[in-house]
Amino acid sequence: MVKERRLPGGRTAGFQPAAMLDADAGKMRRYGRLEAGAPPGLVGMPASGLRINGRGDFLMIESFKHLAEVARDRDASEVFLEADAQEHGVTAEEILASLANRREVMWECIGRGLGGGTSMGKLVGNEAKLLNEAFLAKKTFLDPLMVKAELYALSVMGENSRMGVIVAAPTAGAGGVVPGMLLALEEERHVDPAKTVRALVIAGGFGSIIALTASISGAAGGCQNEVGVACSMGAAAATYMMGGSTLQSIHAAALALKNTLGLVCDPVGGLVEVPCVKRNAFFSVHGLTAAQLALAGVESFIPMDEVVEAMVRIGRQMPRGLRETAEGGLATTATGCEVGQRIKDEANQRRADKAAERERVASERKAH
Amino acid sequence: MAIRHDRKISILDVMGPVMVGPSSSHTAGTARLGRVAYEILDEDPTELLFFLHPPLASTYRGHGSDFALVGGAIGLNVDDPRIPEAIRIAEQMGVKIDFAEEDLGDVHPNSVRIEARGPTRKVEILGSSIGGGVIEVFRIDGFQSRFKGDSPTLLMFYRDRPGMIHEVTKVIADESINIASLMCSRSGRGKEAFMQIDVDSPPSSTAVGAIAALTDVTEVRFLDRIP
Repeated sequence: MVKERRLPGGRTAGFQPAAMLDADAGKMRRYGRLEAGAPPGLVGMPASGLRINGRGDFLMIESFKHLAEVARDRDASEVFLEADAQEHGVTAEEILASLANRREVMWECIGRGLGGGTSMGKLVGNEAKLLNEAFLAKKTFLDPLMVKAELYALSVMGENSRMGVIVAAPTAGAGGVVPGMLLALEEERHVDPAKTVRALVIAGGFGSIIALTASISGAAGGCQNEVGVACSMGAAAATYMMGGSTLQSIHAAALALKNTLGLVCDPVGGLVEVPCVKRNAFFSVHGLTAAQLALAGVESFIPMDEVVEAMVRIGRQMPRGLRETAEGGLATTATGCEVGQRIKDEANQRRADKAAERERVASERKAH
Repeated sequence: MAIRHDRKISILDVMGPVMVGPSSSHTAGTARLGRVAYEILDEDPTELLFFLHPPLASTYRGHGSDFALVGGAIGLNVDDPRIPEAIRIAEQMGVKIDFAEEDLGDVHPNSVRIEARGPTRKVEILGSSIGGGVIEVFRIDGFQSRFKGDSPTLLMFYRDRPGMIHEVTKVIADESINIASLMCSRSGRGKEAFMQIDVDSPPSSTAVGAIAALTDVTEVRFLDRIP
């Protein structure tokens, strides 16, 4: 069963960050080894009752067109769970249990992240804290759903930049978008947490179909392959959470992805900090916009499969300097270069210090 | 259509892993590559050498790939909060650690060669972290492989001879276990060879023992899913 989890301080995000940190110190250790990535495999093959296409083959959802055919009148999460059970030998119960655990990890991560704190590269840190303070002081003007989507995305990404425990969704650098959208929706629109877990199945299922064609990494095709894919997955899941059909979810995913095409990956100093942390907040709202349009009946003119293909082609045409190498874009602005140099200098200094320390220890040993 | 991967990534691979930040390809993927070396080595390492492909060598510092590689190689999971401390922990364990840059050829940007040595054994792997924590190990001890750590796998080192595949797969078939994929490579006809068998469910230790006892088999390692 999915546990109801609320942030301390009631339905709003207002609470004492320090207290949360203390409370979570124990939890960090608790979930350290509980979940070994994927649950253990089953012995033997899944029951033959799961075979659902006419030829008696195992069902593998090969494209969004295929998904539209098999899940048009069904709960898409059921279809994804069946397909994964057949393909990977992991039962639906195991997948749901793992995702319920990951939803918990997301909430815990948000709880820690709201307090802010300096990142490893010292380029970001207080974005979540500032927005949270403004929200609690009722100084925000957007709908609370939007503010929370931004806030939770910033919280997750802040934790990520401090080497905190997060859920990669689908990557760490884009890991704020899906929890930002879905958990804000769960809280603000009073969605049953079990439904959120099902929505995570939708997000994962959509991502797995995209990953059949596209490599999900900034190095492969820029940020469109990370944040673009994340908000596409999130848009499909949010549509599902709000009662949309499978076809509406597919349109939401296409609308979200189409409007991130060409997004480059140009991290300052090669760190997952600038522009990544704030970008996650922007695209969590972008994803909700896509879901809203799709739920109203707006359709993507270009089918989702073709949007994914376009993304892959754009990624191939994208210069190497704009694919995570920190050799273009924001990374090579005057400020970006300055940061890059500082990081290199600090690393060289650390290496020199270590060599000196080694030498000192060696000479001491010799003296003995 | 562009790349079609030979295996579909699971829901849990997309919506995960639970990991220590900040980058799934630089932190989670690299930790898993380190973990593969640890699992194949099958003992606590005493020496870990990492040779980073130039693009990774230029970006690894800010992503904590060094902590992650070492963390995995001493057996930590990708979600272990001790990963940021992994180098210190390894040094306390007395492990000798070194990082160097090495051009690994025409491979994914985020690729690394790992040499791990323990008290009695050593292993060398070459692998790539291809995004979202997904890995591909394409060389194990000099033999071509395509190990992704996403299914139970048998790694077998043996002397090339007729009938070997038949004998090994018979042991697996006798356990009613389905083989998802199988690949062999050899240094030469009748010379040292390597077989990678991905199975849908883990074989019993009896079966692994039976394979190890086959004539001309030098060594068998069973690896479950790499967390």
